[in-house]
Amino acid sequence: MNNMTLYVNRDSPVHRVDPLTKLLFVFISITSTYISANHLAVFGILLFTFIILMTGNVFKSILPVIGVSFLLIASIIIVQGFFHPDRATVLFEIGPIAIYKEGFSIALLITLRVVNMVAAFGVLILTTKPDDLVEALLQKGLSPKFGYVLLSVLQIIPQMVALTGKITDAQRARGMETEGGIWMRFKSFLPLLGPVVLNSLTETRERSIALEIRGFNAKGNRTFLYERETYRYSMPLRIALIIFFLAVIVWRVMS
Amino acid sequence: MKKKRMWSLQFSTAAFVLIPAAVGINFLGKLFADVLKLPLWIDAIGTVLASMLAGPLVGAIVGVINNIVYGFTTSPVSFVYAITQAVIGLVVGIMAYKGWISNVGKAVVLGLVVGFIAAIVSTPLNIMFWEGTTGNVWGDALFATMLAKDMPLWLASFADSIVVDVPDKVVTVLLSFLIFKGLPKNVKLMYDNQGEIERL
Amino acid sequence: MSVLRVVNLKYKYPDSSHFALDDISFTVEKGEFVGIIGMNTAGKTSLGYALSGLIPHFFKGAYGGDVYIGEMDVLSHEISEITAKVGLVFENPFSQMTGAKFTVYDEIAFGLENQGVPRDVMHERIRESMKLLDIEGLQGKNPFSLSGGQMQRVAIASVIAMKPDILILDEPTSQLDPEGAEEVFRVVEKLADEGMTIIMAEQKMEKLAAYADRILLLHDGKLIEDGKPEEVFSRDDLREFGVEPPVYVKVARTLGIRSEKTGQYPISLDEMPRERELRFHPSDYIKSKTTEANGTTTAELIVRDLHFGYEKGQDVIRGLNVTMSGEPIAIIGQNGAGKTTFVKLLKALLKPDSGEIYLDGNPLSRTTAAKLASRIGLIFQNPNDQIFKHKVIDEVMFGPLNIGQSSKEALANAKEMLDLVGLADKADENPYDLSLAERKMVAMASILAMDTDIVIFDEPTMGQDVRGKSKVKEIIHSLHEKEKLVICILHDMDFVAETFGRTIIFSDGGMLFDGPTREAFAQGDALRLARVEQPHITKLVQRMGYDRIVLKETELM
Repeated sequence: MNNMTLYVNRDSPVHRVDPLTKLLFVFISITSTYISANHLAVFGILLFTFIILMTGNVFKSILPVIGVSFLLIASIIIVQGFFHPDRATVLFEIGPIAIYKEGFSIALLITLRVVNMVAAFGVLILTTKPDDLVEALLQKGLSPKFGYVLLSVLQIIPQMVALTGKITDAQRARGMETEGGIWMRFKSFLPLLGPVVLNSLTETRERSIALEIRGFNAKGNRTFLYERETYRYSMPLRIALIIFFLAVIVWRVMS
Repeated sequence: MKKKRMWSLQFSTAAFVLIPAAVGINFLGKLFADVLKLPLWIDAIGTVLASMLAGPLVGAIVGVINNIVYGFTTSPVSFVYAITQAVIGLVVGIMAYKGWISNVGKAVVLGLVVGFIAAIVSTPLNIMFWEGTTGNVWGDALFATMLAKDMPLWLASFADSIVVDVPDKVVTVLLSFLIFKGLPKNVKLMYDNQGEIERL
Repeated sequence: MSVLRVVNLKYKYPDSSHFALDDISFTVEKGEFVGIIGMNTAGKTSLGYALSGLIPHFFKGAYGGDVYIGEMDVLSHEISEITAKVGLVFENPFSQMTGAKFTVYDEIAFGLENQGVPRDVMHERIRESMKLLDIEGLQGKNPFSLSGGQMQRVAIASVIAMKPDILILDEPTSQLDPEGAEEVFRVVEKLADEGMTIIMAEQKMEKLAAYADRILLLHDGKLIEDGKPEEVFSRDDLREFGVEPPVYVKVARTLGIRSEKTGQYPISLDEMPRERELRFHPSDYIKSKTTEANGTTTAELIVRDLHFGYEKGQDVIRGLNVTMSGEPIAIIGQNGAGKTTFVKLLKALLKPDSGEIYLDGNPLSRTTAAKLASRIGLIFQNPNDQIFKHKVIDEVMFGPLNIGQSSKEALANAKEMLDLVGLADKADENPYDLSLAERKMVAMASILAMDTDIVIFDEPTMGQDVRGKSKVKEIIHSLHEKEKLVICILHDMDFVAETFGRTIIFSDGGMLFDGPTREAFAQGDALRLARVEQPHITKLVQRMGYDRIVLKETELM
């Protein structure tokens, strides 16, 4: 597992859109669903997000990501459906328990919003290489040091995860149990996490040195190995997104 | 040795390198908690350690980046809680600087404070984004019970967060405290020391 | 004009009262290859830091004297200006990868981007340095997916691309296996031939003897001698500084071969006289020496038709049969031959696909790793994978307490073992404040304190200096005296020849040979197949025209 991102390598029109425009899309798509309280409008936005995912040829990949949030969604439907404070009209009854129309309606709205949130981020995450996004932000003036931080996280976590097997072996070889009662298991937590923490913190010293050697703190202008190709339609796309966003706000204020 | 100023924005190279390591530690904490089937998340040890070592700002940055990365790699929902993680980093950093990690007793208090503040920050987020639930079975059961008794939504949601966050944060801060106390000198020195070069 | 000038350099780390560098002066001319030798605490690494400006700018502390890179004095310039002229490569290949780049090509670009090198120049320099380091084939790969030797070459390429005047290599092979080390040495040789100014700290003296124009001998922060390799290596007191001369010097000394003019010993294989007549101790004398400790009874491991694979259809261990008991056993063979997998099976950390292992007649399949903990001890390669306590003594007591020793017993055992590995005075220190070599000793003690009947070592000598190695040898002997079965995976053939009576040659998941070490090193075909070299002394004697297998220089008269 050398790459922990969810990026799906395809060639599609969505993949070619520049990362910042996609970032703007994510923001507008999500906030619009929260500004508008109309089921149909929110559903429309969700549908639009799905269409983009399909155009990007990554619709299938979003399903497991939505699945991760399943517990949250289920909990919303159950809890709000049964217990929302505005409950008044009984929709239907299962045995002694009543599902209320108001709660159910709200639960449905929130579910649409959550799914749209996940799907909208999906547009960015599934079709954008993280390093492209960071490069784009760098050229917009993000400090290269923060750029370093963002990218190195993606590389370093898999390296740390790869250590876990070795550590578990080493501690089991010293008679540590990973199964048993809760206290027994809890006692094993530090022997397992401790070596990773100490290693990675001690290693920060060497890696700092390595970065210093490579001019991490060099003053003066830095250059970039690759030239960014400019995306032709980013301006019109961004303008369209902003017009849509303004329309949502106006509509909400008017109604 | 003089400790460096708490709010300094002059991050050293070491501080920048610490951030990804701390995010990784968060990640592995959660992983091992899963492996050992512990009933807690324990996913903020890195954030807490970074705050203790390099101050509230670095801690807050770890918190934000942690959730951005989590959002990018597992579940986009965690973007929402980036603010909570950032506040955890800030609180620990400030209180650690003021001496609240000098012994176990104080560390427990720090854990309680962090848990409460995390709940205070999470509650409006939970209400705004999903009308108050958290997705944690026990917390949401309590939430539902309180709603059934016609208690106000915000209180139910706050209680939901409290039962989830407080125990988890107390354990997290305590474990971090134990690890922090045992860090080797050369690591602590690297972050503590803003010393000058002494010319012989 | 010298490319490097060090004048009365003194340095103390912050919070330390001890001079890490103590009044060092020397100069280096353009194109020179300077070797730095000394034991682990001699100050070699600190000197490397001082030449690249990390001392004092990164570490702070107390600094005296001056270092000049060409005209530039280190004290009044920033690290980034200094490292534009001085490239530093250090031991751990892994932590030298920046982590922010996803391909080798981009990784090399990291420093150039920071320096603001124009794009087309950048591409040109990256290609150039990849060619020099022989890593063109790796350019699209993720740096973290590489082997240690490949990573280390990428680290060198990344530094070379920045066009430094001086290249400093601080034990670049100490954490690599022999193949990786060879890869690195090959490119070092190439760089030296290109006329690069190189300063290299290294434990493998044969290599320094072959490359270096000059050798600096450091001890306790002081510069003991600055001279030609043959001068420095001919010193009689080298061992006092924790340095073992190249094997050729040792043999030449035993045989009394020295230049009549200078009184110096030959330092390389090429300089050894070929026609020299050798006399050997009679074989029964040797036998009585090597079999002295035999006849003891130990626990017994019997392996029957063992098969194992991590993935279906890809066997890593293919049908092993072996009985192990009695004298210490060395397992040799190249990386990926299945040695580590084999010892993990012995320890029941892995479950065999088929076949069985019996410990004193009882099948292992009926026990768990945790239960076996009190019978079999396995010391892993990397101590950092297990150390988590704040104090050395607590770390060593962790295992013993887990397997049910009382705290009194555990403490007594821990103390005894710390004494054995030579760390009795560091019991209360934080393990991570010790050196990696010392930490390996802590990990070793932590297993030994469990007082198991069988002790398995995985690469105990890697990264150890001469003193560390002789300590390991001592430990193995003392375990054998206590009637414990010792099994040891090793890459260091000189150490195998000196220490073990029985050797198993591993290749491709099977055994090519199992028998007396002397016979093992006579198996030309098996050794070639397993990609293992003969010990230096063995090669030397054969080169001098004898077909006898010699394992130690004491066998010569």
